[in-house]
Amino acid sequence: MLEINNLHISIAGKKIIDGLSLTVADGEVAAIMGPNGSGKSTLSYVIAGRADYEVTEGSIRLDGVDLLDKTPSERAALGLFLVFQYPLEIPGVTTMTFLKAALNAQRKARNEDELSIPDFMRRVRGAASKLNIPLDMLKRPVNLGFSGGEKKRMEILQMALLEPKFAILDEMDSGLDIDALRVCAEGVNALRSKDRGLLVITHYQRLLDYIAPDSVHVMSRGRIVKSGGPELALELEKSGYADYIEEAA
Amino acid sequence: MGALLQNPTQAEQDFLARFALEPVDGERQAAAERFARAGLPSRRNEAWHYTDLRAKLRAAPPLAARPDAAALARAKQKLAPSDRLSIVTVDGYFIRELSDDLSSTPGLSVRALKADEPALKSLSRGADDALLDLNAAFAQGGVAIEIAAGAQVEKILELVALDSASGALSRFAHHLVVLGEGAHASLVETRAEGAEGFGDSALFVSLGRGAQLDYACRSLEGGAVEVQNFVARLGSEAQLRAVSLLAGAPFLRRQYFVSCDGANGQIHLSGATLLRGREHADVTLTLDHDAPACLSRETFKYVLADQADGVFQGKIVVPPHAQKTDGKMLCRALLLSDDAAMSSKPELEIFADDVACGHGAACAKLDASQLFYMESRGIPRAESQAILVEAFAAEAFDDLKDERLRDLLSADLALLLADGAFT
Repeated sequence: MLEINNLHISIAGKKIIDGLSLTVADGEVAAIMGPNGSGKSTLSYVIAGRADYEVTEGSIRLDGVDLLDKTPSERAALGLFLVFQYPLEIPGVTTMTFLKAALNAQRKARNEDELSIPDFMRRVRGAASKLNIPLDMLKRPVNLGFSGGEKKRMEILQMALLEPKFAILDEMDSGLDIDALRVCAEGVNALRSKDRGLLVITHYQRLLDYIAPDSVHVMSRGRIVKSGGPELALELEKSGYADYIEEAA
Repeated sequence: MGALLQNPTQAEQDFLARFALEPVDGERQAAAERFARAGLPSRRNEAWHYTDLRAKLRAAPPLAARPDAAALARAKQKLAPSDRLSIVTVDGYFIRELSDDLSSTPGLSVRALKADEPALKSLSRGADDALLDLNAAFAQGGVAIEIAAGAQVEKILELVALDSASGALSRFAHHLVVLGEGAHASLVETRAEGAEGFGDSALFVSLGRGAQLDYACRSLEGGAVEVQNFVARLGSEAQLRAVSLLAGAPFLRRQYFVSCDGANGQIHLSGATLLRGREHADVTLTLDHDAPACLSRETFKYVLADQADGVFQGKIVVPPHAQKTDGKMLCRALLLSDDAAMSSKPELEIFADDVACGHGAACAKLDASQLFYMESRGIPRAESQAILVEAFAAEAFDDLKDERLRDLLSADLALLLADGAFT
């Protein structure tokens, strides 16, 4: 369960998140929708532990454990995963090496044994074939020269291998055509389970047609201004965010 | 001895006194006289602007003599077994009894270098450098490795430079590698002469028409003050791929004097230099495209931690007759600390009009977004940094055709990064 309580965040003195509270239960898929500049991506970065943001008040807990004093890698080992809006390219590091380093680092942090090479390969092959990722692609440097769709599929592959307790999808639909969106969404849906919470951040209803949320929250000016069920997303698609921007002001 | 230096330093006086003690003749005499006029290079010499050897080398340690039995016994302890064909030197002297017996390897000859081997002078013609002169005046007892025309030596040849552990010495080494027409070989130079004293070594390489040499220099423990010279000439259609891994260098200058003498030659010079503490390393190369249609690629990477100081100078000369030259030079530095410094100076001298020559230089820190991405996958910060540094540096090894040499350098690099000094 992810619990965010009265979170306040500034960057270079400017307030970005202003008293945000949100709870996402195990097995729940929560969506956050909001206009540009409402602080959605900042929220995902802060939960994952990116530096440069100053948390002035509030708390973020995953299964009761306070995340704010943990490094990004410690948060990952606790079961947190972020699907990046813009996945990074890492020249010189093959995807295979990267995946192995990530898996084994998390296992080490949890006092588990490293995976044997055959076991690792078996897992990678299984997960890659489900996402239509050819193994040749995994021999190339991480995300280097990949299309937008390939990069996002690679994010979902990582998620499938790392089996997080809680995942944040930061505008997963950006840069994807319809077919790529479907493949990625199917990949995410396959990872839905009663133990795993998901926070889906998006501008558009479209993504939620593929990944059906249990709850929808509207974010504006750094806080949640309205919460509801899936119908709220449909309503937003019709009326836009204008009402909420005024409300928050 | 002609017009002597004004106000010689202690080190210059030491070297000059030794010339006087031990009269030399021929080319050695001429080189000694040139040194007596020029002295040690300092900031005032354009080519040595960033590496002030004259200021750094206060006094010259005693000259290393041919090692005795006790010295050889000490050196032998440092010799690790390998499946490569070892050619061992101690304090610069070729030691046949510590080397592998290569007499039965077809096409390969390993012999003591003659006192006044004419090839050395011929290979370094046109190179005007005080440290080459000093080397020519003092170096003796080197080795000549010759590969016959058309021969292909399958196993890796390894030139292992050990020291006698006799305290601080001045070591002068000169060795010759000759590949006949169409010959192929892979050569590793493993430098392990310890951290004491002064070193001025030179490797002379001659590649005949169509010959191919893959060469890797592993220099992981430099002397207190050290100069390494690499002098090579290529015949037409010859290919040289020379890659260095430099680390553990208190004060190192590695200089390349390379010339394409025939058309359609290919030269790849690359290197990764990793420095920490107050280490200083300078890679300076002069590449002479003295024939048409040759290709050259230079890729030098630096990883600088703490207060380390990196220098790269690359000069490419393309005379009027070298049409269709294709040259690209690149120097990239990764600064891991605000106190590290990098000086990079590319120089292109192009006198031909139908050529493609370019160069680039960049300095950067590790990318914060890449680091966060890796950490968010559970890879701790130090490990993430090590992975990024390794990827950055290892790119310099890609030019080697012989995968075994690449693996050797990669393994050295991994060991170097394992203790966390470059994160």
